[in-house]
Amino acid sequence: MKIRSLLIANRGEIAVRIVETANKLGIKTFGIKTSKEPNALYLRLVDDVIDFSGTVEEIPEFLDIERIIEAARLNKIEAIHPGYGFLAENPYFAQRCEEEKIIFIGPSPSAIYKMGNKTIAKQLAQKNKIPLLQGSQGNVKNSREAAEIALKIGYPVILKAAAGGGGRGMRIVEKASQMDKMFKMATGEAEKAFNNPAVFIEKYVRNPRHIEFQIMGDRHGNYIHLGERECSIQRKHQKLIEESPSVAIHEDLRKEMGQAAIRIAQSVEYYSAGTVEFLLDADKKYYFMEMNTRIQVEHPVTEMVTGLDLIEMQIKVAEGKKLPLKQEDVTLKGWAIECRINAEDPQTNFSPNLGIIEKISYPKGKSIRIDSGIANFSVVTPYFDSMIAKLIVYAETREKAILAATLALKKFWIKGIKTTIPFCLAVMNNKKFIRGEFNTSFIEKDMKKLYYNERDDELLAAYVAAFDFAAELETDRTTKPNFERGRDISPWVLNKRLKSL
Amino acid sequence: MRFYKSRSKPENEYIAVSPDEHKFVINNPFSEQTRINGHKKEIRIYEDEDGFNYLEYKSKRYLVEIIEKIQNKYTVLLNGVSYSFTIESPISFTRRKYLEKQKQTSKFEIISAPMPGKIIELLVEENSRIREGDSVLILEAMKMQNEIIAQTSGKVKKILVKAGDNVAKEEALMEIEK
Amino acid sequence: MDVNGKLFTRFLERARAYQDQQGEAAIEKQHMKGKMSARERINMLFDEDTFDEVDAFSMSDDTTGEFGKKVSAIGDGVITGYGKISGRLAFAYAQDFTVMGGSLGSVHASKIAKIQDMALKMGAPMIGLIDSGGARIQEGVASLAGYAGIFNRNVGSSGVIPQISIIMGPAAGGAVYSPAITDFVFMTNKTSYMFVTGPNVVKEVLNEDVTFEELGGAIVHMKKSGVAHFVYEDEENTIRGVKKLLSYLPSNNLENPPLVEYCDSEIRIDERLRDIIPEDPNKPYDMKDIINLIMDRNSFFEVSSDYAQNILIGFGRLQGKTIGILANQPKVLAGTLDINSSVKGARFVRFCDSFNIPILTLEDVPGFLPGIDQEHNGVIRHGAKLLYAYADATVPKITVILRKSYGGAYCVMNSKNLGGDFNFAWPTAEIAVMGPEGAVSILFRKKLMESNDPVKLKKELTAKYREEIANPYVADDKGYIDEVIDPATTRKKLISAFEALENKHVNVPSRKHGNIPL
Repeated sequence: MKIRSLLIANRGEIAVRIVETANKLGIKTFGIKTSKEPNALYLRLVDDVIDFSGTVEEIPEFLDIERIIEAARLNKIEAIHPGYGFLAENPYFAQRCEEEKIIFIGPSPSAIYKMGNKTIAKQLAQKNKIPLLQGSQGNVKNSREAAEIALKIGYPVILKAAAGGGGRGMRIVEKASQMDKMFKMATGEAEKAFNNPAVFIEKYVRNPRHIEFQIMGDRHGNYIHLGERECSIQRKHQKLIEESPSVAIHEDLRKEMGQAAIRIAQSVEYYSAGTVEFLLDADKKYYFMEMNTRIQVEHPVTEMVTGLDLIEMQIKVAEGKKLPLKQEDVTLKGWAIECRINAEDPQTNFSPNLGIIEKISYPKGKSIRIDSGIANFSVVTPYFDSMIAKLIVYAETREKAILAATLALKKFWIKGIKTTIPFCLAVMNNKKFIRGEFNTSFIEKDMKKLYYNERDDELLAAYVAAFDFAAELETDRTTKPNFERGRDISPWVLNKRLKSL
Repeated sequence: MRFYKSRSKPENEYIAVSPDEHKFVINNPFSEQTRINGHKKEIRIYEDEDGFNYLEYKSKRYLVEIIEKIQNKYTVLLNGVSYSFTIESPISFTRRKYLEKQKQTSKFEIISAPMPGKIIELLVEENSRIREGDSVLILEAMKMQNEIIAQTSGKVKKILVKAGDNVAKEEALMEIEK
Repeated sequence: MDVNGKLFTRFLERARAYQDQQGEAAIEKQHMKGKMSARERINMLFDEDTFDEVDAFSMSDDTTGEFGKKVSAIGDGVITGYGKISGRLAFAYAQDFTVMGGSLGSVHASKIAKIQDMALKMGAPMIGLIDSGGARIQEGVASLAGYAGIFNRNVGSSGVIPQISIIMGPAAGGAVYSPAITDFVFMTNKTSYMFVTGPNVVKEVLNEDVTFEELGGAIVHMKKSGVAHFVYEDEENTIRGVKKLLSYLPSNNLENPPLVEYCDSEIRIDERLRDIIPEDPNKPYDMKDIINLIMDRNSFFEVSSDYAQNILIGFGRLQGKTIGILANQPKVLAGTLDINSSVKGARFVRFCDSFNIPILTLEDVPGFLPGIDQEHNGVIRHGAKLLYAYADATVPKITVILRKSYGGAYCVMNSKNLGGDFNFAWPTAEIAVMGPEGAVSILFRKKLMESNDPVKLKKELTAKYREEIANPYVADDKGYIDEVIDPATTRKKLISAFEALENKHVNVPSRKHGNIPL
């Protein structure tokens, strides 16, 4: 069957991205308007807006399963694309869609459930002979149990939210004395973020690379992988720069890890787009971490090197179609780098920088792709995550891609808020990054300064301040109040004024 | 009775001082003869039709924006990086140097919120002793829990917030007595 | 007269001695403390070469007895005189800390009193530059009498000529009451202090350790006590601030404020104003953004910016004419009125009214701040001050209701029946006795209790309340609002409305003075 209408249960750049493909496929799109962001860009691009802004419910709009289902039913919408985050990996939501005969653009509820439950996922990986890190068998009940396991497998260990992803509810524990505090924080954060405080524990590999494989499956048992993405440039487990392919992966390893990723997907009869995340240590040994059962933020780098439209493939698979290509047809060509532009200030420890985007100007060029959720006068609110846009560059080689990214970043201008652009520039200019020698502790260890500037920049900024101050003094000097005019008073007023004193 | 003609002022001199004491002496900012730290500079500031402000120097363009200005305290954003200065005159600069020398080290230190967010949990109590590097509370911002760390050792004199409070950036959270 | 003759020599000698006294050595002494000399301050305040000094050669009174100490300082530690500030006559005195710590003796005091008298006679602004250790102990009661004389003249000039105090050093003990009576107090950060009893006394009496800065520094008075209206980081900027303030003020209570020609005559229609109020009625925004869009460009000059921030006060211009602005600040305490903000607002209204400055009120107030603390500290009588000040003011008064306007706070904020000349409202205005949630809880308590789904019912009733009651149209129909206006046209509306009110006059019944609830 062909999908004719699509509800996008998401916001920001991914909503915009989905609209783009839907338009290409001639699908009517619906967007959800919230009171937190009533003038967001994606609302201008969808064909129809479903207004959630009138009433504010306890549950945030994009997490309100019944409200979204109800909206889809009322508007007779055939399919829902959840994007990433929010309900994208909520098996119950996928289940509810199925029950209401709405096509959920993503894998089956059971695949989401199994991969979302880290314990089950690990068991499946083990069964399929995919290397794993040692850790707890399932969730740990309390910090005492966590400490016992940690003692067995040796510190450092990492606590992870069972329902998690994206770094939330994740804490590294270096020594036994920290366990109590870290356990509390991890469960607290997990509870907040996922409504589920359960955490598990595993051995922590120091300075690994984060390598993930994009896979794609259909409902007819076909699977392919679309190569790897290198996502090691992270801060507090939040990815900031991604690329594809990775300098750390050679052809044989790619084949091996790709096959492993597919085996994982097969084990849950996975269809739609998914990502299998691995840690790769210095000896090029890889360990299965988790599978993300959604489209990912960094999917564009894969699209650039494979020439495919992953959202389109997701929709086609959801319609029941077969994958359009086989593994041997997949070729990785060239090099793509993605820089996340977040409304965060790299000069003050990446603190969120909220406000109104007064003006924005994008770099242009054949090798440049911008996925953006904002436009002039967009408001960056504290209610959603801080990513506002992504810059993706493509070139024949990594070297050229880094150069292209540098040039593009220098022409990416945003007025009104501070962003991670100077951070991305600093990475592009880092010798170790350029040489490809980096891992997940790159930001902490190999970056002396988290933003990029040149020798004269501070001097020029000082000049701007002095110039403005001098101009203000000048205005003060030239603003001549005319006191005589204050004495020009109509007799009507003056007489009465005098009398009433 | 009249005394004293006003003392002749040094030519249009402004001193920009950064928080880490970088000092830029700028003479005649409006003229083509602008000098910074004694060197002649050709700098041009202009606005384009889209409303961006640029600075042109050595045939390179820089995007500039004054993001904060309180009296003579400035924060300037140049190519996305912010720089703070206070603009001093030669006289006020002397005063500044004097005050810095005199600076009494305050007995109290205020821990303030580095970002807007919600207080999740207080990890210390009033009158408890803390050491530099101790976490004093957990602040949630953008769905991340952040530990706020004491920069000095001392006694917690006063806690100004409670769990569940929403706080603004720079809002005082607690006072530490050194 | 022979300039080389004996008579002239004495004249020149005196002048030289005075110059020497205030020469490099004295200047250096002040500079060493990060301060400027009294003479430098005077030169900076007045237009170049316009200052004329009065009583330059008065000598201090001889004192006798054990503490008697003869001082040979010329001028007795204060410079007094007149000159032009931005081309207008003004009077000033500047205490000289290098002479007996700027202490106030009887001659010092009578010099100040003389210049105060002149300022009042001439109807010109009076500016005091204060840098003084306080009453001169050696002179005893004579110096206290001197203070009282100054206070008396401060009060006598109040509401007749603008009086400004600039604190540039210590101001301790009784000395603080002169600034307290004047209209505006400026302080220079880190080098000025004001307190009635100093840290030593606090230590003696209460055994509490407190530094000068913590007890009475500029920041304390700006943020906590509200005593200082303006604080600047150095003396040059402080004096610039004084000059800027003066550019908004008339010389006396008969004149109108000055006009700044060609400053911003444009009648703009600004569509940004339509989007500035968030759709969610509980979401804050920055009132300053609105003020800046309505008034002449860069003309808003805020007063007491760090004190009781839930109300914003300051001067601005509309087509070059001075306007006093009071606005609730939704960003702070949701813009509620409390004790401090009421008092802050009330004093500002009184000032504007004294000096013929029209008042613009921008309103977004959910009500008075509830709480035991507020009630016990007398929010009733303090809130009444603002109400009294508004009702008592006879200058042109215009109110624009931007969003919330509930209950008693509606009445207080220059409502129509309190004497507002023009009362406008934006379509986003909510005018009612109380907010929707509160009203529904009271009116439908029983119904809500009996309902199976009270949350849903409450939501429906709230929406209905908003539609039927909490909007600007009910008030408009009844004439409590003169017009509901398009936010984009606010500037235009205000310009023509204030123009229409230019010759407003109200006859007030003759009385000695009203009895404001102090």
